[in-house]
Amino acid sequence: MTAGAAARGRGQGVWPYAGALVVALAVLGGLVAALGGDAAGALAGLFRASLGSAAGLGQTLNKTTPLLLGSLAVLLGLRAGVFNIGVDGQIYAGAVAATGVAFLLAGLPRGFAVPAVLLAGMVGGAVLGAIPGLLRARWGVSEIFVTVMLNFIAVFLVEYLSTGPWNDPTAGEAITRAIPPGATLPWLLPQAGAHAGVLLALGTALGVWALLYRTVFGYELRAAGDNPSAASLGGVPVARTVALALGASGALAGLAGAVEVSGFHYRLILGLSPGYGMMAILIAVLSRRHPLGAVAVSFGFAALVVGTDSLQRSVGLPASAVFVVQAAVLLVLLAVEGLRRNPA
Amino acid sequence: MSWELLLDPSLFRLAVAMSVPLVLASAGEVLMERSGLLNVAIEGMVTLGAAAAFLAAFQTGSTALGLLAGALAGALVGSVLAHYAVAWRQEQVTVGLTLYVLCVGLASLLYRVVVGVRLTPPRVETLPPLALPVLSQVPVLGDVLFAQHGLVYAAAGTLVALHLFLFRTSLGLRLRAAGENPVAADTVGVDVFRLRRGAALAGGALVGLAGAALPFTLTGTFTEGIAGGRGWIALMLVIFGRWTPTGAAAGALLFAYVEALQFKLAMVSRAVPPQFLQMLPYAFAIAVLVRASRGARAPEALGRPYHREARA
Repeated sequence: MTAGAAARGRGQGVWPYAGALVVALAVLGGLVAALGGDAAGALAGLFRASLGSAAGLGQTLNKTTPLLLGSLAVLLGLRAGVFNIGVDGQIYAGAVAATGVAFLLAGLPRGFAVPAVLLAGMVGGAVLGAIPGLLRARWGVSEIFVTVMLNFIAVFLVEYLSTGPWNDPTAGEAITRAIPPGATLPWLLPQAGAHAGVLLALGTALGVWALLYRTVFGYELRAAGDNPSAASLGGVPVARTVALALGASGALAGLAGAVEVSGFHYRLILGLSPGYGMMAILIAVLSRRHPLGAVAVSFGFAALVVGTDSLQRSVGLPASAVFVVQAAVLLVLLAVEGLRRNPA
Repeated sequence: MSWELLLDPSLFRLAVAMSVPLVLASAGEVLMERSGLLNVAIEGMVTLGAAAAFLAAFQTGSTALGLLAGALAGALVGSVLAHYAVAWRQEQVTVGLTLYVLCVGLASLLYRVVVGVRLTPPRVETLPPLALPVLSQVPVLGDVLFAQHGLVYAAAGTLVALHLFLFRTSLGLRLRAAGENPVAADTVGVDVFRLRRGAALAGGALVGLAGAALPFTLTGTFTEGIAGGRGWIALMLVIFGRWTPTGAAAGALLFAYVEALQFKLAMVSRAVPPQFLQMLPYAFAIAVLVRASRGARAPEALGRPYHREARA
């Protein structure tokens, strides 16, 4: 996106988001009606289940956490001019490292164990993000392809661990033993079932904002993304900056994996990420690659995920509908933007 | 493990069969990229093509209609991508990734709506082997190459046709010019916009057909992860093959061999956990791309929107 387009994007303010909400609800209502359900009733149910009750709000906050951290990971890459399609794999790598460290630290006090578990998640994700970063910096290998391939490899690793060495033999499915209680995140709203992860995610969003706009590295990162040859002429080590950005991007996604283990599932499970990485891409683009915009869009997407989950139970709307709704929203916005820029 | 296993004719036979979706998808992607369109929706298009093909065959009982539905689904998504990229000059990777998510969601949504929830997933008929007269009697080679299902021959034919089209016809030359230097091509009267739309339509159909090949030749069923990264791998094969259909197809055979080998190894080996064997093709794909990235030169205008009034 050019600087001009970005400026227009800021100028449009909240209206595109209001429009996006209308599109999302229209598509969702249309899908429910197509399945023979009552669209208006379903949308009311969606609101009740995601925002209109304490328990619903708690679930929405819990879902906001991985979506926000994941979209921060994607947008950090986008700002450096690279596409991190491997957020799912990095979430899994972070979850693996976090679970392993949690097992190792059994018996230690929470004040020590929890930070160690979260840090382990970041390291796990960073390792998986650094591989495509280094390959791109060194040999110009497409990061899109390498991050996607690592998704598959990470999922097989989780399948191995959750059915093999870490398997919970009493469960009869691909999940590991529970992590020790000392390694679990504290509650934020115990009655609503919301864990403290969302505070961590919000703090991270502020941190990413500060990194991008208040540090030399952030400046160089944005320069490398906006115009690599100009940045290079200006003395920015572009290849190294892009590799570091992918590593940092992986760390953010890995943190999401650690939070899912330590705050929500209390174990490593095979379906830990139900496509968070795919949603994270859409969120990063919808928020116009801005960390604070990502906070709002992640919250909206989380409400949508929790709401459609409830529709799955009540009107039989398949879980995959949420991807269709979210992608449709972005396609409509891209179409509006395209029409505005290129009047027929 | 012995050398005999690596050279087993049945392994080559399986590899040839498994290469079909990769050959078709990478051929479609070569066609699109040569015109200047980068299609990162490809994994979603393979998945949607598989779903459309499966569902059409499930409803009508006709494999032919299934193949047609798969190709149509791919062509439709390709055309949407082209419209965003050509008419609205939107960033192709952004649009492509959005369409990828849309297709993956749509594929399982359609499946759920049509098939519903069942204890055992329904199956469609897989294609029977079609032994070519005389040729299939050749020792070893006959069995590996000429006693395959019909899509193997169709993929081979497509490959030859696409190669001739790109490098032996004037339309193919114009299409490549649109991807290399659209300004110069436009100057001599090449309709860059129409060529890119056409390439997306035809290329998308091939990618959709690649998806259709999955239920009809490999699984007989549709599952959410049916594409298994084959679309992404086709994207890599295009770079491996230096943007030629034949080069990409050679890569497809190599990759399908590794994929087939992983199946065979899983059958004979108990020492290595199966998940590590399953990682093998994906790790291999990364290694291949690292090697292929050296000296790779993409079409000059790949991924760039063409704007008549814009200064170069």
